Amino acid sequence: MLWDAIGFYGMALFLIFFALKTITVPNPIHAALYLVLTMIGLAGMFFNLGAHFIAGVQMIVYAGAVMVLFVMVLMLFDLKAEIRSFSRGLLSGALKIMSSALLVGFALGSAGSSVAILDSSDTAPTQIDVTRQLGVLLYTKYLFAFEVLGILLLVVAVGVVAVSRMKGGTHAQH
Amino acid sequence: MPSTETILNVGLTHYLALSAVIFSFGMIAVLMRKNVIVMLMGVELMLNAVNLSFIAFAKESGNLSGHIMVFFVMTIAAAEAGVGLALAVAIYKKFHEVNIRFFEHLRG
Repeated sequence: MLWDAIGFYGMALFLIFFALKTITVPNPIHAALYLVLTMIGLAGMFFNLGAHFIAGVQMIVYAGAVMVLFVMVLMLFDLKAEIRSFSRGLLSGALKIMSSALLVGFALGSAGSSVAILDSSDTAPTQIDVTRQLGVLLYTKYLFAFEVLGILLLVVAVGVVAVSRMKGGTHAQH
Repeated sequence: MPSTETILNVGLTHYLALSAVIFSFGMIAVLMRKNVIVMLMGVELMLNAVNLSFIAFAKESGNLSGHIMVFFVMTIAAAEAGVGLALAVAIYKKFHEVNIRFFEHLRG
């Protein structure tokens, strides 16, 4: 139990530190690289929670594909570290941070008071065949959603190519 | 003040708290940064925080549907990143900068 707690708190500190770095560093490339570390930490968290397949997908899709996309686009732009990377206004900034803090407070309060209601399972799935059960569920109960998602990805791929090949960006001259 | 027992016995509440904190970081990035790409990174952080709470609930209730939902959210997030970056490229082509204040000049 003690080692579980030490592992959880170590990983939580890792995650919070790098997530904070992601949103505060002025250089967008550095932000992208800190975001990769955050994603890897989250994959470790998923592994810790027994979702081995999801942890692997997180590593491949996020830490691999999505972040490569981000870094490639940033390289394309030739951005330098921004002098004013945060929006202006002290009062509005304070309001924004306070609204986020309020959201966290509500989430924590509702979690603390509603966790007791949730009936924890007596028959937790054995860790070995979680991936097998996941595959069976995906291709039987959620088959329609899976197919629709494939169509969505096709539409998005075509749309992305169309948007990025528009002449003159959003201000095309007619 | 929580007792030592609650602090050491890591359960669902701890994971939900971590998820809420990461979600708020993503929200602050979307609200306060001026670079469109860093704002997209904030959206990714928020989606990942929600994924963490899905997995924590799935473990607590022993129901694998949470894993399926995380799988779908990841796919949608990849599509959303692609569309957002394509829009950023379209803005950069015109203004040679990706800053949120150029969005007020958008017209169809």
